Amino acid sequence: MAARVAPSWRRSWNGPTNGRPMLKFHALRMALALRMAEGARHWLAASLAPGGYAGVAGALLLVAATTFIILIAGQFFQLPPITVMFLVPVLFAAVRWGTCAAIVAAIAGLASAAFFFERPHFSLKVDDPARILGLFLYLTVAVVTGHLAATARREAATARKREIDIRNLYAFSRRLAAARSPSDIYKAIHEHLASLVARRVVLFGPSGRGAEPVEHFGEVAAPPAVRAAAAALRAGSEGRVIDDGMNNTWLVRAVSQTAGDFGVIAVDLGRQSERDQREVRQHVEAMLADASQTLGQLDLAHALNEARIRTAAERFREALIGSVSHELRTPLVSILGAATVLSNAAAVVADSRMSELANVVRDEAVRLNRDIQNLLDASRVSGNGLQPKFEWADPSDIVNTAIERRRGRLAAHKLLLDLPAELPLIHVDAVLVEQALGQLLDNAAKYSPAGTAIRVAGRQVDGDIELTISDTGAGLTPDERARIGERFYRGARNAQTTPGSGLGLSIASAFLVSNGGRLDAESAGAGCGTTFSIRLPVATDLRPAGDPDHD
Amino acid sequence: MTDVMSNVLVVDDEPQIRRFLRAGFEIEGFSVREAETGNDAIRAATLHAADLVILDLALPDMDGSDVLQRLRAWSSTPVIVLSVRASEAEKVRLLELGADDYVVKPFGMAELLARAKAALRRQALGISGESTVTIDRLTIDLAARAVWRDGERLVLTPKEYRLLQLLAQHAGNVVTHQQILREIWGQLHVNDTHYLRIFVRKLRQKIEPEPNRPRILLTELGVGYRLAAAGDRPLE
Repeated sequence: MAARVAPSWRRSWNGPTNGRPMLKFHALRMALALRMAEGARHWLAASLAPGGYAGVAGALLLVAATTFIILIAGQFFQLPPITVMFLVPVLFAAVRWGTCAAIVAAIAGLASAAFFFERPHFSLKVDDPARILGLFLYLTVAVVTGHLAATARREAATARKREIDIRNLYAFSRRLAAARSPSDIYKAIHEHLASLVARRVVLFGPSGRGAEPVEHFGEVAAPPAVRAAAAALRAGSEGRVIDDGMNNTWLVRAVSQTAGDFGVIAVDLGRQSERDQREVRQHVEAMLADASQTLGQLDLAHALNEARIRTAAERFREALIGSVSHELRTPLVSILGAATVLSNAAAVVADSRMSELANVVRDEAVRLNRDIQNLLDASRVSGNGLQPKFEWADPSDIVNTAIERRRGRLAAHKLLLDLPAELPLIHVDAVLVEQALGQLLDNAAKYSPAGTAIRVAGRQVDGDIELTISDTGAGLTPDERARIGERFYRGARNAQTTPGSGLGLSIASAFLVSNGGRLDAESAGAGCGTTFSIRLPVATDLRPAGDPDHD
Repeated sequence: MTDVMSNVLVVDDEPQIRRFLRAGFEIEGFSVREAETGNDAIRAATLHAADLVILDLALPDMDGSDVLQRLRAWSSTPVIVLSVRASEAEKVRLLELGADDYVVKPFGMAELLARAKAALRRQALGISGESTVTIDRLTIDLAARAVWRDGERLVLTPKEYRLLQLLAQHAGNVVTHQQILREIWGQLHVNDTHYLRIFVRKLRQKIEPEPNRPRILLTELGVGYRLAAAGDRPLE
């Protein structure tokens, strides 16, 4: 024992004891005693752990209750051997309160058995040597089973906690992967750390971006003293405990001491005595050390950078699209208007060549307008500019409007319409749904040869309205089907032959999702046609009541 | 109806837009006056009686809806608003403020002319006392309070007739949900659009040759309904 302890002792006492053997020996003995005392304290703390002193008291009560029951029940029934009966409180105490309580229960059981049930009664003395052996066996069995039961329980609890930890960590890393901006990531870190240490936590952004708190935990903001301490904390420096002037102490430290700059965290340690505070602090520090290691492993620094770049690029692109399409649109209003005046003017109509040219200008301007509209819609979708205005709508009104608006574009196809007369009303933004449906009609017309049929059908499926648009055209390969909702994605087969921006379907899908619906695509394969289906919920709890025709 | 030359006041700050609107209206026999700002527009409308106002909403000095309100304070001249897309709520607001109809930019001249002529016809209807409106094979006789299809008189409930009457009085122009609900069911029901949807469904069964593909009673999504008029199709 001494040999094992010495090196650590040497490290701490090296200087002053050099060349002083007597003193050295004395100090060694003291250190050893301290160690043992410390070890005992630890053991006691660990074995007391789940139940504490209340557990010990509970164990004694259990034994007393068992004694009482045996005394009463023994009058009426033939009971199993007394020592077997006293194993019950031991096992119960072990599972409930841990080893220490189990041992106390075992010893108390022994005492009770000797006192009440062994001759001579009401004395701890036992006459029969065979009974003494029996009681001794009882004690051994009780202590061993008690210890085993307590250990098993502890391990089960540890396993359960580990499982929860892993699940939390998995959820956390999934959130990190889905993060679209640094603030998403900080929010995730913040919630993760707050739930780990189970205390009020304020997370401050990394020093480069000022020490603005990213998020507060709960209602209360960080007190000014904590803010100041967080701002003053330099990278790599130790954490410190400060008083916020309201009798609360806070631990302020870098989230990670080793792996990258993840900002500064302030943990509310509450109002506690200095000793308790040290314990809480140790616990929090251990948690944070674990957490920061995890953050490092998740390559968080990289993720943060990526997210930052993504946000900036996205914002720039949105601004560009927004201003470009607005600038393009203004002259387009004049071009289109002027072209429609020209193509209807008597002088132009009389000359077939002029009339043809005027129509070219008009039709191409219409197409350009459509493309600009798609860009605007796409930027609306990604900029979260979609604010559906819900109202009651008749699905067949939506279908008919979408078809009417595209009569020219659909003229070359045979349109089959199959709408039951009594489709339930839906509560949606009818304009957005019409535009989504329109994209699908455009798509069907573009990717299926002239003269073929496009079928639009509506029906009620369970709690949904389903609208399907089927064509017999280019179809989808499994790969294309998987990527169909991606922005700017266009199947390589058609990119050369059919004009388009690859925005239509992603816009349609986003519009539908914003209305609580969804878009699906089915195709038997390339060349086998495509069926798009729109699902929108029928809001049952809002179903219109009453007869609108009463006078 | 344009026997007497109608005066159009075009209010838009874009000179190119004013230019094609002038050409488009003049070809159709209208006489055109232009205004560049809201104040110009109000001054021009006061000084020179206009039969029709084409009003852009984005003006440099004031909002188009302010111009509309100030105009409506003393004049019932038909006003057609040039609106932008994706703002159904604004269209409804302007129609409630007294605009007769709207077209969405960019628009074709034919569509604007159809809206304009419908608005002028309505104005004329009040004056001439002409009392029948015919769409497709449907005739609505406002004086006799009767509706005929292919020479056969239709049996309508009083509310159904009132809806057709309301739409016929604005034939070719849009009537908002709220206007219809207020007119037929009363102020308490202005938000009960679902009444209207089901009601219109029933009415279409009676008046439309193909109720599933309406040709007469048309839906303006998010805004209201209109009775069809010749040439009023928007650009695709």
